[in-house]
Amino acid sequence: MSDKNCPTTSEITALINRETELLDDKKLAEWIALFSEKGTYWMPVAIDQADPLNHISIFYDDVLMMNVRKHNLKHARAPSKEVEIRSSRLTGNIRLLDFDAKTGNMTVKCNFQAVLYYNEQTLFAGQYIYKFIWTGEKYLIEQKKVNLINCDASHGTIITYI
Amino acid sequence: MTKTIEDIKKLVEPDRIHRSLYSDPELFALEQERIFESTWVYMGHESQVKENGDYMTLNIGRKPVIMVRGRDGNINVLHNQCTHRGAKVAGKKCGNARAFRCCYHGWTFKTDGTLIGVPHKGGYEETHFDIKDPKFSLKVVRSQSYRGFIFANLSSKGADLKEFLGDAASSIDNMIERSPGGDLEITGGVLRYRHNCNWKFFVDNLNDTMHPMVTHQSVGDACQSYIDELPKDTPPTREMDIVAPFGSSYENFDMMGVSVGPKGHAFTGGTDSIHSNYMEVDGYIEAMHKSYGEEKTKEILCVNRHNTIYYPSLTIKGAIQSIRIIRPISVNETEIETWTFRLKGAPDDMLHRTMLYSRLINSPSSMVGSDDLEAYTRLSEGLMSGGSEWVDMSRFIGREERPDGNMTRAIGTSDISLRNQYAAWLGYMTDVPQQEEL
Repeated sequence: MSDKNCPTTSEITALINRETELLDDKKLAEWIALFSEKGTYWMPVAIDQADPLNHISIFYDDVLMMNVRKHNLKHARAPSKEVEIRSSRLTGNIRLLDFDAKTGNMTVKCNFQAVLYYNEQTLFAGQYIYKFIWTGEKYLIEQKKVNLINCDASHGTIITYI
Repeated sequence: MTKTIEDIKKLVEPDRIHRSLYSDPELFALEQERIFESTWVYMGHESQVKENGDYMTLNIGRKPVIMVRGRDGNINVLHNQCTHRGAKVAGKKCGNARAFRCCYHGWTFKTDGTLIGVPHKGGYEETHFDIKDPKFSLKVVRSQSYRGFIFANLSSKGADLKEFLGDAASSIDNMIERSPGGDLEITGGVLRYRHNCNWKFFVDNLNDTMHPMVTHQSVGDACQSYIDELPKDTPPTREMDIVAPFGSSYENFDMMGVSVGPKGHAFTGGTDSIHSNYMEVDGYIEAMHKSYGEEKTKEILCVNRHNTIYYPSLTIKGAIQSIRIIRPISVNETEIETWTFRLKGAPDDMLHRTMLYSRLINSPSSMVGSDDLEAYTRLSEGLMSGGSEWVDMSRFIGREERPDGNMTRAIGTSDISLRNQYAAWLGYMTDVPQQEEL
């Protein structure tokens, strides 16, 4: 198998835009489909937290938990889900941290600001770090890590993925 | 303050309480003074201040304090207030200090509180100041440890910690015994979850077993919907183990039972609870057998309590090694901290399970916790309506109760733990000598 060409900046941007757009549009089933079978969504609670297993996190969901949340979010009797969730995510400063031509896998980091309107408006900010794996046809997310600048603050309910 | 003891007595009846308990700022201030600042409040575990000089800054009610391990290895709780002009001498949440030096004028105190340095001291000649006078040292708060769990009490009067905890201490004993090494250690950071509601809604809910099948129905259903999507014979997962029981039946919760004791303490569960049917963790039972033998292991592991509340400040889940600390901020603001224990000598997987549990149930992102908080928010708002002045807690009053040591055991869906808490609340709030007559 020949080496894979490094994706262009606009290809990487398109991957990120697609991911954040699906969250903005609350299309969770399609969003989950962006992840690999072993994909995870991780939001650490500490700055420079290295470990999702031996240290507590705000989120560390595998695809199974993503699917449970998907059902929960649209359940008619989930009291906290009666209020409509609206959100707008903005990403920038996209940079490629690592690209492996042999596998095509890459790690991408960008800054983000996400505004959630749920009862009241809340601003989240920080960095997204994506680990993408190349299947031979397309990129899937192996991990989306969300580093909040205020990860260790006292948070109210974080009602959905940021 | 305008509320008299007689006024307060009118707010609590045997089977109901007045709605203003959750919304009156004056009552909140009195709770801080007469409950949190007058009884044993949880500070932390000794493993959080391992080395000499390790400290944490905390509050007892409204009062900032420092829990610190001194040079002699003893843990002290000190008022975090410089004896000069009054600034906090320790500002960070935690750290290690050889001494505490005030950031304003540099007065410096040993980790046992003793004043050891005052800059440009000559100016105090011919004043009342004397560096050796204990009144210029950081004031020490009465603190005691129960098997590594450190509590402090701003009141010098009253029972020792062991007597305060009473028979409910057996939940701490069981959590320690679940460690093959017979010891616990706090590890893996803290989750802070801001609740925009009165602290008592959270405490009320700990042993409220009539809400899960309603409030958390959606979570049980979501688990089931996902299982239905999977191919048949897909093996069960640990996530389902943890989340699904929150949708248990009324009968299950009846069977769990509830025990209440003096001072407002209580726990749900006995041999059965929502934790009793978890999958086994590889290597754990073997490690337990090695330490305790088969029979004793069985005895330890058949204690499956859900929440134990050490009223008013600490709640623990012994069977899952997770604890939460209740920190009231204002009449309608509360911070809940979740901490994790490692069972010494147990496989790492036990710790991973506790972390998973806390993420799924106690994190700000939790599907379970967020629905609880939504209910507390609606309670806060609904009770302002005033359509009824009272909050009911009459379920199973005087029925299905029996003595159990120094505690009382009741059917799991009884409101007995609410009645017990508010009897304790009333006791604290009306047990005020002298002050009232001044």
